[in-house]
Amino acid sequence: MNKQSIQKSAASGLVFGIIVIFFALIGFTVVFSGLIQKALGQSLGVGQIPSMSSFLIFLGLLGIWNGWRASRQDKHETLLVSKVLGRSAIAGLTAGVLVMVYALIVGALDNRGINLRTYLSQLSSESVRFFLFNQSIVVGGLIHVLYSTVLAVVGGFLALASERSRERVKTTRESIQKWSQDRWLGKLQGNPYVSYILMGVVLLLLVLLPRTWGAYWNYVMGTVGIYVLLGLGLNIIVGLSGQLVLGYVAFFAIGAYTFALTTSPEPHNLVWNFWVALGVAVLAAALSGILIGLPIMRLRGDYLAIVTLGFGEIIRILLRSDILKDFTMGPRGVRNIAGPTLFGRSFTTDVDFMYLIILAVLLSIFLARRWQESSIGRAWLAISQDETVAQATGVDTKKYKLLALSLGAAFAGLGGALFASRNQFTGPEDHALMVSINVLVLVIVGGMGSIPGVVLGAFALKGLPEILRELESYRLLVFGALLVVMMIIRPEGLWPARRPKLEVTVVKETEQVPLPAVVGGEQ
Amino acid sequence: MNTVLEARQVTKIFGGLVAVNKVDLIVPEGSIASIIGPNGAGKTTLFNCISGFYQPEFGDVLFNGRKIQGMLTDKVAAMGIARTYQNIRLFKNMSAVENVMVGFEPHLKHGWITAMVKTPGYQKEQKHIVNEASRLLHYVGLAGLGDNLALNLPYGAQRRLEIARALANQPKLLLLDEPTAGMNPQETDEMKDFIRQIRDDLGITIILIEHDMRVVMNISDQISVLDYGEKIAEGNPKEIQANPRVIEAYLGPGAAALSEKYRREKIHDA
Repeated sequence: MNKQSIQKSAASGLVFGIIVIFFALIGFTVVFSGLIQKALGQSLGVGQIPSMSSFLIFLGLLGIWNGWRASRQDKHETLLVSKVLGRSAIAGLTAGVLVMVYALIVGALDNRGINLRTYLSQLSSESVRFFLFNQSIVVGGLIHVLYSTVLAVVGGFLALASERSRERVKTTRESIQKWSQDRWLGKLQGNPYVSYILMGVVLLLLVLLPRTWGAYWNYVMGTVGIYVLLGLGLNIIVGLSGQLVLGYVAFFAIGAYTFALTTSPEPHNLVWNFWVALGVAVLAAALSGILIGLPIMRLRGDYLAIVTLGFGEIIRILLRSDILKDFTMGPRGVRNIAGPTLFGRSFTTDVDFMYLIILAVLLSIFLARRWQESSIGRAWLAISQDETVAQATGVDTKKYKLLALSLGAAFAGLGGALFASRNQFTGPEDHALMVSINVLVLVIVGGMGSIPGVVLGAFALKGLPEILRELESYRLLVFGALLVVMMIIRPEGLWPARRPKLEVTVVKETEQVPLPAVVGGEQ
Repeated sequence: MNTVLEARQVTKIFGGLVAVNKVDLIVPEGSIASIIGPNGAGKTTLFNCISGFYQPEFGDVLFNGRKIQGMLTDKVAAMGIARTYQNIRLFKNMSAVENVMVGFEPHLKHGWITAMVKTPGYQKEQKHIVNEASRLLHYVGLAGLGDNLALNLPYGAQRRLEIARALANQPKLLLLDEPTAGMNPQETDEMKDFIRQIRDDLGITIILIEHDMRVVMNISDQISVLDYGEKIAEGNPKEIQANPRVIEAYLGPGAAALSEKYRREKIHDA
């Protein structure tokens, strides 16, 4: 073992020791152990301290990971038993000693009767004793060292085993892939009926699910749907035409408020038909896209981002200011916004709204795809890659950038109107900067310029936090970590955009190709 | 012969530096004109003034008799001036055939509404430009590579793709900025023949900036030499080769006399 290798192992141990201590300090150990206990099928009351075995499993997983990481320092070397043993033991020992020191300090303080909860709300006497395995301080600390070292060594050998069997796993996987490709996947891919059946199944799910999964999930999935709409719009602006607009929420607000003011009895006593108001809201947002676009046409990159960021904030501040109080109700917001009606019947249950949002999403995906795959989509992409050259190639950049802004804004307007209608309320704080940032993040996480990416991104960003509710107050911590991991594993997004295959073969190889005929007979 | 491009006293100033100083240039239709000169002589700046990237401080640029300075580059491209770039500037993350299809942009008629509805006319136009773009790729020798991303193409292919994109504009005047930069002798030779072929097949007038003298002397009908922003000589390859000011611009003061001396000695020896 050379010095560098020892240093790396110790560093890995330090990192894992700090992680364990951090989790203990914020009380995450207790919550996660509880989750493990529930996953094992054992009941756990609220506020009850979980069992020792679930805590050991939690610590063990971290320990194994520690040993695994420490022993695999270089991708290209072949692991030997002696190397693995040394590295993982060092890593485990370092982590264990670090945790022991922490346990000793906290345990001693707790023994003296100092209430640690005054400093850290999660450090109750019970959780400290839980962390020490309900033993005395010294015994608990030593158990930590021993357990960490043993599990790290186990992790090291697991790494060794996985590497030894890597070749075999690879060949097995390849043969399975080949078999499935030959036997059924390959046949299915070429079959048009398969895609029809798939689409049918998806449609059936979209019809049935809102009826079955209850109001709560309808609410959550409705929010996801509205964010899909927003994502589709911002995807056109940022993902395709490459304009980094950070004030996208402005269009959302304009859509929501236009709809609100034209359908609510207060403050203007305009009670328009739902569908007319919806159309007007979309148009107003699209128009505002053009109006905002005109002055910022010459800005690029960072400057555009800052100016549009300011614009989003200006709209929100205007909405809550006293100047427009008579017009938009100021910070109180607009209430009693109308729900959808059709042929005199009103459709305002959660299921109806879910259907409406699903319809809007399907329609928007259809339109966004049409535009993306057309010459317009190509012109947008060209602008995003090199605006100067795109213009010199004959692309009317101003026209296309304005078009992208207004079409993208129209999607936001639709989303905003549905949002206001569903909540029957909209106020300035619904349109804060966080909306813009969330939408931008979902476009990036999903994959810039990719429509399936937008849908996946919306689920990941708005659906995942709901699934993580089990983790209570730690869900944002876990959520942030998951986002970081996602971006490390797939930096180009969950479902990156691919370019279509378009080239056609020129039939007559020998024929001289004349100057391409002028398109459309224009000179 | 008609004059395709005429530059009159074109002057471009950056701060205190006169990058292009009162340059006159007349390019007849169907010719291949070269602009040469040492590094920093203002060749690319002159190109940028012609293609609308820069607005010259003084002077006029006339294309088919119409003033074009002050026009936006997309309007210039629509009028029939296409160009390539010294450092290749493709749309890197688009496929090769898509790069060419963007070049058809100034001649497209359909907009976002017809694209949304997919009217028959729109579909016909789309099919047409896919076919034409594929044909152009075939013409520049990139048949079968069209679905690769532009950034994945080899260097020489990227240069050809840039030319294909420029040809998709259906230009009357093609500006090539160092088309053989970074190529080996064989590729350079092919490119030279290809440039001539473009002129002969398509009747497009070509202006090129080039450092490789074998290419310049071989294919040019007319050569203009720039040095420190000024045009110091113009003529056919023979005249330029013998011009003492050109030799001095490239090799330094006194070089012309030396070369004259060597030539005399050679004749004397013979």
